[in-house]
Amino acid sequence: MRGLVTSPGLPLREALLELAYSALREGYADFVMVPSRGPGDSYSWILAGTPDALTSAEPLPPVMTVQGARALSSAAGEPSSRRILAIMRPCEARAAVEVMKLRQIDHANLTLVTMDCPGVIQLDLYDGAAEPEECDPANLRPACRQCSEFTACGDACIVRSADSNLLLPLTAKGGELASSLGLEEQGSLDEWSKRTEELRALRLGTAEGARTELRQQVAGIGRLSDFFADCIGCRACRTVCPICYCRQCFIDMKDRRSPASSHLDRSRRSGAARLVSDTLLFHIGRMAHMSISCVGCGMCEDACPAGIPVGRLVSMVGAGTSALFDYRAGKDPEEPLPLNTFVEEELHEFED
Amino acid sequence: MSSRTEATAGGRYIRCPGDHVEGVRSILRQLLVSGSVKAVFSLRSIPGNESFSYSLISDPRLVEEAVPFHPLMPVQAARALSQLTVSRPLEEKVAVIIRPCELRAFIENVKQSQGSVENMFFISCTCPGVGDSGKASGNDSGKSGGGSGYRTACSVCTDFVPGDPADMVLLLEADESPEDTRILLRSEAAASMAEDLTGFEIVQGPSLEQLTRAVARRRSLQRQDFIEKGPSAGSGLEELVSLFAKCIGCRACRQACPLCTCLLCDYETARTIYPPSLIGHEAERRGALRVPPGTLQFHLGRLNHIAPYCTGCGQCSDACPVGIPVADLFIRAGSLVQPALEYHPGRNMEDPTPLSTYRADELEEITD
Repeated sequence: MRGLVTSPGLPLREALLELAYSALREGYADFVMVPSRGPGDSYSWILAGTPDALTSAEPLPPVMTVQGARALSSAAGEPSSRRILAIMRPCEARAAVEVMKLRQIDHANLTLVTMDCPGVIQLDLYDGAAEPEECDPANLRPACRQCSEFTACGDACIVRSADSNLLLPLTAKGGELASSLGLEEQGSLDEWSKRTEELRALRLGTAEGARTELRQQVAGIGRLSDFFADCIGCRACRTVCPICYCRQCFIDMKDRRSPASSHLDRSRRSGAARLVSDTLLFHIGRMAHMSISCVGCGMCEDACPAGIPVGRLVSMVGAGTSALFDYRAGKDPEEPLPLNTFVEEELHEFED
Repeated sequence: MSSRTEATAGGRYIRCPGDHVEGVRSILRQLLVSGSVKAVFSLRSIPGNESFSYSLISDPRLVEEAVPFHPLMPVQAARALSQLTVSRPLEEKVAVIIRPCELRAFIENVKQSQGSVENMFFISCTCPGVGDSGKASGNDSGKSGGGSGYRTACSVCTDFVPGDPADMVLLLEADESPEDTRILLRSEAAASMAEDLTGFEIVQGPSLEQLTRAVARRRSLQRQDFIEKGPSAGSGLEELVSLFAKCIGCRACRQACPLCTCLLCDYETARTIYPPSLIGHEAERRGALRVPPGTLQFHLGRLNHIAPYCTGCGQCSDACPVGIPVADLFIRAGSLVQPALEYHPGRNMEDPTPLSTYRADELEEITD
């Protein structure tokens, strides 16, 4: 891997902004999609078509209000001649790759640029005071604290190595971006590689420890039921998930409605039955459908008004299924989705 | 018995010593054991963890897990009752413990063919309100039953005495808190059920309205103040943009709302969602565009659909993970729209729903 010197002397945030400006000015892209500051310390994604529109752009906001892949699927959901350069976090770029495979994002004219990600503050712990890049690690999303894929995703990534900004072209498109920006001078990636490997090892350890604990916590239907006991059925987890794109979810299908008598039967069987019902069916069903593509962004957990650690559960399940299929969500747009791929001989270990 | 007669003449109450939780449980247990009802719908403390959930209880021994009128609303009861009866009504009798705003919302559901009151026996209360349960106010306070105080929606609610559809009404919120359990028998079904209950005496008492006059006055003043000066009092475009600036588009407000019953929301349909080509075009025209677009359109659209029927329960605010006071806006809009349409949502089954009723002459004051 080579790193090309870019925006010398600037902090990472400024380097990303400069990239956004250059991409529009040099005509590499028609639009830049980037987070932007709004009223009252709010942040949202904008699709900017002119350098002037980037005035409030904030490529490293302290919070993730909308998962970038979700924003991108609204802007690039169908083939278009408009070229978009999206500046997003590594987990957002990986989600975008999964959504491309699900054919909800057209990637022909799309370039994804990521960065060394410091993580984001949990939405309910963000008081508007923290400056971007000054995230208190204690307030980071739990997903960020156990993230080992925090850099080098997408078509290109801007990383910090020994106090300089280096652009890593990761795909052919990333290479085109580098040459259109006229980046040629190579810089040393040694410091970055060392730091990244150390942090990755640390985070993998954290994740493994947390998952071992969580596995105990949800073992068996009774414990899983307790895990979701506070669920208010608001479906925020599903709506904010970049992978859950169905216009109408299986759980909301009309033919799934059951008559009052069947609810009463359910109540008689165990003396009492929860209403609304199907909380577990919904969460397990959602995991069955999307967990293999889960990039562990933690958006679902951050959106849960009841504070259920749902993101950690989905990503734990996802890690299991991915390992089974030797699949890495968001890594390679060409790698087929295991659930959409017929393999005649597989998974014999699960047969009777 | 109509509420009007009762307002002057008072009514018949069943009374027993002790707090309402045991009193109501005793009724529920007796109704289940005698077979008068086949199940009880109530908020229930889930054994083994500290959460609460609406449940359909059919085993009388499990009635001790029921926590009737516990000050928490994890799900709006109308939503649960609609799920129960939307495809086919109850064929057996069920006693339903329900707050006034939940009952009104369910009546609205029924009027819109999203449920049925058949075989339901409603036990409601004069309602003191429920606590916030959102993550913002701390999960623990929610679990312990609203340690952070009542919802804003509750403190400005003037509709805390349930209407005609309630068969029994527990006196909970009153000018002078009763030391015993007193339950008004409002319907004939309630009166005949009461005859078979043991451990209660039947007494004559003043009307619920008489017993809650001071509360009504206080709430009414709070409501007026809130409507005029509350946090979302501004209704200009800029104020609305600010109000919803932090919206993450999770749609929890819609999903938690008992009146948003559409299987597929208008704002999710292929017809309504902006196609990427249009988004690109708009971004070009304006220089930049927020994506995904339509935040304000969604909230104002929902407001447009729901405000005439909103029962002001506050569930939308409670569900919002970023603490937007959605209900404030809906309550304020409802306070303007409902009188204009001369509609009192959920008060009874008979009043025609305004948006689906054609009148040749109406609303002349807003025509040119």
